Amino acid sequence: MRRGRWRVPLLGLAGSGAAPGSRRRVEGILLLALIAFPLVIQDTFLIDRLGRYFLFAAFAVSVDLIWGYGGLFTFGHAAFFGGGGYIVGMLTTHDAAFLPVPLWAALIGAVLAMALFALALSYFVFSGRGALRGVEFAVVTLAVAVAAERLTNAGGSVTGGQNGILMSSSLGVPGVISLQQGYGFYALAGLLLLATYVGVQRFLNSRSGLILRGIRDNEDRIDLLGYDVPAIKRRAFVLSAAIAALAGAVFYVHEGIVSPSAVGVSASTLVLLWVVLGGRGTLIGPIVGAILLPHLTATLSGSLLDTWLVAVGVILVAVILVLPSGIFGFLNRERGT
Amino acid sequence: MEVNNQGILNGLPDHQLTRRDVVRGAGYGGMGIALALLLAACATGTPNSSTSGSREPIKIGILADLTGPFTTYGTSLARSAQLAIKEINAKGGIGGRQITVIVEDTQTDVSATVDKARKLIQSDKVDLVMGPIGSDANDATYKTVVEDGAKLLFYTETFEGGKCNELYFSFGAVPAQQIRPLIPVLQQKYGPKVMLFGADYVWPRRSFEIAKPIIAENGGTVVAELYLPLIAEDFSELVKTVRDTQPDYIFSLYPAVWGTALKALDDAGLLDTVGIGTIFLGDPDFAGVADLAEGSYTALPFFTVADAPGVKPFLDAYSADFGADQIPSGGEGVGAYDAVYLYKMAVEKAGSTDPKAVAAALPGLSFDGPTGSVTITPSHYLQQTINLVQAQDGKYALVDSFPNMDPEEACSL
Repeated sequence: MRRGRWRVPLLGLAGSGAAPGSRRRVEGILLLALIAFPLVIQDTFLIDRLGRYFLFAAFAVSVDLIWGYGGLFTFGHAAFFGGGGYIVGMLTTHDAAFLPVPLWAALIGAVLAMALFALALSYFVFSGRGALRGVEFAVVTLAVAVAAERLTNAGGSVTGGQNGILMSSSLGVPGVISLQQGYGFYALAGLLLLATYVGVQRFLNSRSGLILRGIRDNEDRIDLLGYDVPAIKRRAFVLSAAIAALAGAVFYVHEGIVSPSAVGVSASTLVLLWVVLGGRGTLIGPIVGAILLPHLTATLSGSLLDTWLVAVGVILVAVILVLPSGIFGFLNRERGT
Repeated sequence: MEVNNQGILNGLPDHQLTRRDVVRGAGYGGMGIALALLLAACATGTPNSSTSGSREPIKIGILADLTGPFTTYGTSLARSAQLAIKEINAKGGIGGRQITVIVEDTQTDVSATVDKARKLIQSDKVDLVMGPIGSDANDATYKTVVEDGAKLLFYTETFEGGKCNELYFSFGAVPAQQIRPLIPVLQQKYGPKVMLFGADYVWPRRSFEIAKPIIAENGGTVVAELYLPLIAEDFSELVKTVRDTQPDYIFSLYPAVWGTALKALDDAGLLDTVGIGTIFLGDPDFAGVADLAEGSYTALPFFTVADAPGVKPFLDAYSADFGADQIPSGGEGVGAYDAVYLYKMAVEKAGSTDPKAVAAALPGLSFDGPTGSVTITPSHYLQQTINLVQAQDGKYALVDSFPNMDPEEACSL
């Protein structure tokens, strides 16, 4: 009650960004497209590929949650995405003590482990006098990604060194239904993305989510007003890590292999591109960015062998010049930047 | 409080469904479906024929790193294969069928490699997959193409060996082939004390395990074995080890930033005191480190200075197609070129492109390639000529040529 009194007048903004109508419309179109794709596309491979991009999209949403809405710029989120893959790999392929565990248990293990890791990290970076902000936080996340890549590289038979881990399990319920490829995988990835979107949306509309956005806009003010800033950041960061881990775990089981580049800096940077391209702080933008950019890259790198990097670069620059706040930046009126 | 505020927090007023909403909703639904149709139209625009009449072209898919750190090798692989395909097509194709080649850039990235491998198999429905480059990508492709896709995979890169599958064939050099000729030459030139220096991954590690008995057979001793990260920033451990153990020569499998390692040895004044032998530094890579690599020995299947009647025509055809200053790398080019010709022979022998039939026809086949005769062993590796060169005055000079080197890979199929 005491704190709640401040909430609305303090932030002076409503819900899921301005213009809820246009958000609803975009959501509707995308949801219908998601359902319609498998009905009209007969190419199993393309469906499978789209499924992969859905998991990228869930990953992008997890980054948008903390960067777009929390102002926590992360340079190392692939550590959680790839980390999820690694933990599933280690739990399902090694044969020792209680291992290997069934896939579903490994998936839960991956999410829990990464969430716990994020929680532990949160206490170091968000709490106390040495609480990190802005660039300092970004540098720490960068260090996490670099360390993760080194660690997986040097992990010997535990992480498979530079060659990584070849997955032995496949998605689905053995003997009942396979979700490892094609339409089944598409459905699984699509549902996961949908659940992620709805879940993150709910979080953002909750009290914590509102304070999180307040922190992004003016952290000192929120702090002075007596809100527990570290706790809110922690909550968002752990949620974000858990989502990234789940998406990554499913992604790498489908991929069949997870190797050190999965947790490294370049993978962490790529997701930032998707978020920027689609529109930071819009949730929908990063989803579309995470589907469009990989699709563009995959298609052009097969057809314009010598020049595709230039083509992708030009398109990216053009989009950022014309739409500085991303393709779906119009959904986000609330951000002053 | 929590409950009361939800409405405001959501910013969504309570909403009654009106006729206008329904109409509008239907409109957006239509847009969504239109969007999906548009994407589908784009998708079906790509070649996607599944019929396989005997006059249909044979499809070869190439997974090559054309961007990223392995660009040199990927480019060399793709071009050499394309060169062979062009020559075969000009002479009537394989058993009268033309070859269609689909090159995909795998971007020196495992994820991209898996994605492109699946595309080649599921969407393009290729008869043969060639590539990729990296060891991790090789593992991934092996699983995707051979195990899951039940297609034929030709790997043409220098690698650690040890793979064994009915549908998997290696056309690059494997450790024993390169190490066996190299070690005696190094030992005679420099002395018996060898230091093994490698990047910390499977190729150097397995190669050194194969090298150790060969070194012992020749009467040499391993005085140090050091592994550094693939791309290390600090070479003080290398310098210290060389100082402490004083090897006669360093046998190096440190490919990614070899120039930096040489520079560190040079800065420490050690480069003149120790001999160097490698099994990775082909012509294009050598050009970048020529001054530091002076005097060092390298064993690989191909060098431009290789002495065989087929070398000049191969190089001429290569530069005619891809530019006067373009040369294939030492490990990937000639293997890919030979591989396409051997595939042609196997398909004609089997009378089919069925992966298993072609795989059964391949072992024992021989081809007179640019560097000499090559033969596919029963273990699905390539018996081939290995050339040994030394850097002299900034250029490679041929030391010796070793025909019909046995891959020594045991694999019972």
